[in-house]
Amino acid sequence: MTDTIVIGAGLAGLTASIRLAESGQAVTLLSFGEGGLPLSQGTIDVLGYVENQPVRAPFTEMSGFIKAHPDHPYAFLSSTTISTAISWFTDQTAGLLQPSDETNHFVPTALGAMRPTYLVPPSMVFPDVPRFAVVGIQQIKDFSPGLIAENLTRTANIQTRPYWIDLPARPGEVDSSPVHYAQALDNPDFLSRFVDKIVATIGDEDAVLLPAILGLHTDAHSRLTEALQRPVVEVIMAPPSIPGIRLNNQLVKRAKEWGVRVVLGSKVTGFTATKDHITSVTLHQAGRDQTYSGDNVIYGGGGFESGALVVDSYGKVREALFDLPLAGADRLDLITGDYWKPQPLFEVGVIVDPSMRVVDPGKPKKPIYHNLYVVGGLLAGAQRWIEKSGDGIAIASAYQAAESILGGDRS
Amino acid sequence: MTTAHDQHDLLARMSLDQCVKCTICETHCPVMAVTPKFPGPKFVGPQAERYRHGDSVDQSLDYCSSCGTCTLVCPQGVKIAEINSQARAVMKKNHMPIRDRIISRTTLLGKVMTPIAPIANWKLSLPPVRWFIEKLFGIHRHAPMPKAGSRTFSSWWKKHTPPTPTRGKVVFFHGCAGEFFEVETSIKTVEVLEFLGYEVVTPKQGCCGLALQSNGLFDSARTHVNKLAQQLNIEPGTPIIASAASCAGMLKHEAREILGMTDPTLTAVGTRVRDVCEFLLSLAESGDLPLDFQPINQTVAYHAPCQLKSQGMGLPALDVLRLIPGLTVIDSEATCCGIAGTYGLKKEKYAIAQAVGKPLFDKVIEVNPHLALCDTETCRWQIASSTGAEVHHPIWMIHQAYGLG
Repeated sequence: MTDTIVIGAGLAGLTASIRLAESGQAVTLLSFGEGGLPLSQGTIDVLGYVENQPVRAPFTEMSGFIKAHPDHPYAFLSSTTISTAISWFTDQTAGLLQPSDETNHFVPTALGAMRPTYLVPPSMVFPDVPRFAVVGIQQIKDFSPGLIAENLTRTANIQTRPYWIDLPARPGEVDSSPVHYAQALDNPDFLSRFVDKIVATIGDEDAVLLPAILGLHTDAHSRLTEALQRPVVEVIMAPPSIPGIRLNNQLVKRAKEWGVRVVLGSKVTGFTATKDHITSVTLHQAGRDQTYSGDNVIYGGGGFESGALVVDSYGKVREALFDLPLAGADRLDLITGDYWKPQPLFEVGVIVDPSMRVVDPGKPKKPIYHNLYVVGGLLAGAQRWIEKSGDGIAIASAYQAAESILGGDRS
Repeated sequence: MTTAHDQHDLLARMSLDQCVKCTICETHCPVMAVTPKFPGPKFVGPQAERYRHGDSVDQSLDYCSSCGTCTLVCPQGVKIAEINSQARAVMKKNHMPIRDRIISRTTLLGKVMTPIAPIANWKLSLPPVRWFIEKLFGIHRHAPMPKAGSRTFSSWWKKHTPPTPTRGKVVFFHGCAGEFFEVETSIKTVEVLEFLGYEVVTPKQGCCGLALQSNGLFDSARTHVNKLAQQLNIEPGTPIIASAASCAGMLKHEAREILGMTDPTLTAVGTRVRDVCEFLLSLAESGDLPLDFQPINQTVAYHAPCQLKSQGMGLPALDVLRLIPGLTVIDSEATCCGIAGTYGLKKEKYAIAQAVGKPLFDKVIEVNPHLALCDTETCRWQIASSTGAEVHHPIWMIHQAYGLG
């Protein structure tokens, strides 16, 4: 009953699942827990920094970047594939992310840095006005308007003024999750009290920066913008990330609408294979192991953060499920002493052919298994955190893997 | 006397170091979403556990409903709900409410109520009686109560003549609710299995002890699990088909992961247990399920109970129901109905449980106010009592689609 098994429900796994299912495939998506999107900033990065310099237009710089980084996942894709994938992806988000104008947006973080990113929700677009009110809520931690205001004055060359408001999301609660605020702001009564507090507190600044808590299920951002009669900007916070949860919810919904069968909560712990063909994967369900079979397997298990890549106490790196050969693992300086420098460890990963099938770094011509595709965080050769390239790699590699499978089906 | 902490196999507790404080459990916890009384699974689970060492440090733990959603969504494998259940057993050990001792004995309730079913059901529908019970025991006056059937499953089974089998044997596990309260579900399950050609073997069987476990009565729960495992450990190698999804979960994994039981009989039985829709889906996948269903032109909401989801096998009922022509099944997408076994019966938790279930109740009423589907008994009672809809086990639809009545 399954054409393709997708392992992992992060950005890559969801992208691959939706692309295959909308093209008519029966997809089973296996995921140990929820994917990482609810922890993400809720925007989509493509390429944010090259050589420590912020990138204005990722696709203008892409060919140069690929030339300078021939082992980067983007080098296995192409500028056109990445661009097609990103534009297709934007359509899947049902307006949560606004279409790109080919340039990076620069959006504020909870530390008051301006962060480059490619696709943003309308609520994060930074307006071109001189004076900003930064409004914190006393019951929300990790959002300090003073810190943000001072840093933004330095980093964005704007005038800022910090304010606090005191409005519990729930009576008596002094330390609320952003989720509770987002739920509270879905309620029109709370929203209007929220507006009243802000109006009574701030001055005549041109725009208002608020933590990214403006509604989970409703467009509280638009209502707030209307009520405050000036642009309102959501500022990226530490997890849980409301924009990330919105994006995750939308993609999961889209996947289910296309009939993707989601099996959540069990870990894929093994597989069976003939010489070059994965016949099944083994899911460690409650009570017993269960095999799942499909014509193809797309593996989007993530990198170190999800345990798909593991390092032992000797510094030996291993891919935990299929024991795939890794590129970049055989060196002694996997971690350098300088926190801010690129860490070679993060470039360790799987390498693939242009169809996203895994190859041995020593024999890159022939796929190890002709029906195993690897996408997203497992791919070798990127410094995702520094480059701000992880989302683009996930989307483009997943899209490309799906296209390879669909192309194979068509021929 | 040994405590839960002495006994459990430390698997759950050891998993706390895997917590990276990512907050995914908090964003999914249905209790935390509706009340500030519960500070959430991350705080009460892996964080507070560091301070426990067998002692109780935080009474808010009692507001965890043990729905298990946190463990289900955790991407790092932290056994959050299991840690909480074990810690609650320690916390309640020396002051277990009488109420919790009573409501956790499902078989006893069934045995008392069934012979006097009409009177028992009538008495439990009277507001003064319910007021009295609330005052005396702390069971909320509006909480859903099971309705006793006038016959037990066993009495039907004894009189029933099975057709000649054309396939192998299966063992049927109906659970205590399936014996006393949800007799029709048990009968329909047997009839579907027999229609498919199986020889159904039904051993005498007791309760799985799930309600005892969720109320922290671990020693009694272990006694029940052991006895049940022995009763079901017949016909080696044959599947054990369960029509009570939560009881299946108890045998599959909760007895091991929460009660720390590693008994080989239990393990042998646990690996053989299949939820009935899980079993039918596996037949469908191997091409062994007749698909000549009669159309059912209806739209219904289906709610996957927490303890089915926590078995990590997807939503087999949804997949099977979607094979029936004409039938449109809408996944409730709701996290939890709120009842969580006996949680929502309790006076101090009733309002929380209703708030937890509200998105589900709204969905059921929106999709079809007359009928909804759900795989576990107490969840069905909760949804029915809060929506007014009839709520059936999915097997009722399959039974109907096979033209069995």
